[in-house]
Amino acid sequence: MDSPNSLVIETQNLSKTYKEAQALSGLNLTVKQNSIFGFLGPNGAGKSTTIKLLLGLIKPSQGRATVFGHDVQRDSVEVRKRIGYLAQDPRYYEHMTARQIIGYTARFFYRGPKELLEARVQEVIELVGLEDKADRPVRGFSGGERQRLGIAQAQVNYPDLLILDEPAAALDPMGRHDVLEVMEKLRKYTTIFYSTHILEDVQRVSDTVAILNRGMLIAEAPINQLLQGNGGSVMYTITLKSGVETAITEAQDRVTGQPWVQHLSMAAQDGQIDWQVSVTDDAAAEDLLLRLILEDRNLKVKHFGRKAYNLEDVFLEMIGKENSK
Amino acid sequence: MTAQTHPHVTHDLRLAARQGLLPARGSGWLGGFNNMFAKELGEWFRTRRWWGRILIWPALINGVPGLFRALKQIPPEIPDILYYFQISVIAGTIGMIIMAQDEIIQEKQSGTAAWILSKPAARRAFILTKLLSDIIGALAFIVVLPGLITLVQTYLTTHQLVPLLPFLAGAGVVMLALIFYLSLVILLGVLFESRGPVLAIAFGVMIGGMFCASSLPQVGYVLPMSMDKISLMVALEQPLPAADVSQLISVAVLSIVFTLVALWRFQNKEF
Repeated sequence: MDSPNSLVIETQNLSKTYKEAQALSGLNLTVKQNSIFGFLGPNGAGKSTTIKLLLGLIKPSQGRATVFGHDVQRDSVEVRKRIGYLAQDPRYYEHMTARQIIGYTARFFYRGPKELLEARVQEVIELVGLEDKADRPVRGFSGGERQRLGIAQAQVNYPDLLILDEPAAALDPMGRHDVLEVMEKLRKYTTIFYSTHILEDVQRVSDTVAILNRGMLIAEAPINQLLQGNGGSVMYTITLKSGVETAITEAQDRVTGQPWVQHLSMAAQDGQIDWQVSVTDDAAAEDLLLRLILEDRNLKVKHFGRKAYNLEDVFLEMIGKENSK
Repeated sequence: MTAQTHPHVTHDLRLAARQGLLPARGSGWLGGFNNMFAKELGEWFRTRRWWGRILIWPALINGVPGLFRALKQIPPEIPDILYYFQISVIAGTIGMIIMAQDEIIQEKQSGTAAWILSKPAARRAFILTKLLSDIIGALAFIVVLPGLITLVQTYLTTHQLVPLLPFLAGAGVVMLALIFYLSLVILLGVLFESRGPVLAIAFGVMIGGMFCASSLPQVGYVLPMSMDKISLMVALEQPLPAADVSQLISVAVLSIVFTLVALWRFQNKEF
């Protein structure tokens, strides 16, 4: 039995090269049990490559990965006994019905009385709401129905690790909402490792996030930590009423003179001045920043606040920085 | 989609699912073997194509010569078993190549191989189940069923029983020819990504070998160029020339080599 804090996935210097192209470079990743781990990155970042490496569908050029402590290359079949996987573009035997597909999947994991297996199949069919389509060949299924079937077959063995490659990419907003709801429900049973480029979804359900760009990991952190700011710095936004130019300049000098102030940018519009102050010491800034500005009684502060990052800001900033290197 | 479970479904799904169900048998290189084998056999025996096969192969192997015999196009002194061995080797080989050419390619192209191999299914088991199910299917529809009909036909026309053991040995030679082409096509399916080279090489070996047989008789020591003749000779208990014995041994060895190479190459395939 794994302890609650044990690692489900661990990669060490995991790399994959296709001929000349480096698809994944030195990935070091850790995924804790019962987390919902969002794996982010633009197209071609190496997300699907990582997932295929974990499943043993491709071989690493360098490095290694373990899942539940088992080497994914050496003990691939044992690893896959504990995994449920939904591919980005799931493909099945088109002549089979959804019930047959799920039953076939279930028999890779279980044996036993036919009625018990059928009951399990029925359970997952109901879980994803495919009751009315269960006995139709999958060749007539829409993209959304295929995705539901994908989740059902990935879930049939009650996996300890659920790997979902872009689970909501092909779905409409309602379908996306439902997929996220299912993921949240499954959190208490399983660890979920999923790749996506839909940042809104990640922010909603993930507790840990990794950002991948051009095959390299550029960030891995709990989502709250990531949203607090980028690179350890925190941003404050201040809106001043414009008018007394000298007072503003003096205040700017007082602020930028502090050792914990990293950067101050300024923009003037509609009779007010917006400052964005990047700080390295959040506690000092919280205590002193506003006082420093208000030392001059001529200054009027209309707004003072700590900038709340959303994941899109963080993601775009990180990717932008990496791409400009 | 609704994420609601049906009211009668127990809340502790994990426990419920595992209650009474045991882990599937087979681990390591046999992982998923039973499940895949059952599915592959089902493709032969549990689909509507079952009826087609049960009609087509006897019609081809027994019906065509029977028709010619009825039309007095075949002299009565030529036994039915001659046609059985000839047609089952030639038509069986063509049929086997056509039926098996899609086994691996289709799974690779459609993405179902990647899906299956993301489950606890061993790659060796994936290949072996295809091979074994096709051998059983071919044995049933191309060798055994028409063979039984041949025995009955022969008895009805000659009122004599065909010696069973030599006949079975001859049928074994037919099967060996089919296994050779089956293992070759499976290997080619592993090596190539489209049907073209698979069909071209398999038919090239079959037809090219036939053309070469007269100008380059050494080919007959290695490739299955005269398995129809050899199977008949075995069934008639006639002694085999050294070239035919060599051919039998070579075909058996090559079938094993093709299978081993297919298993090895598939093990390193990326999806």
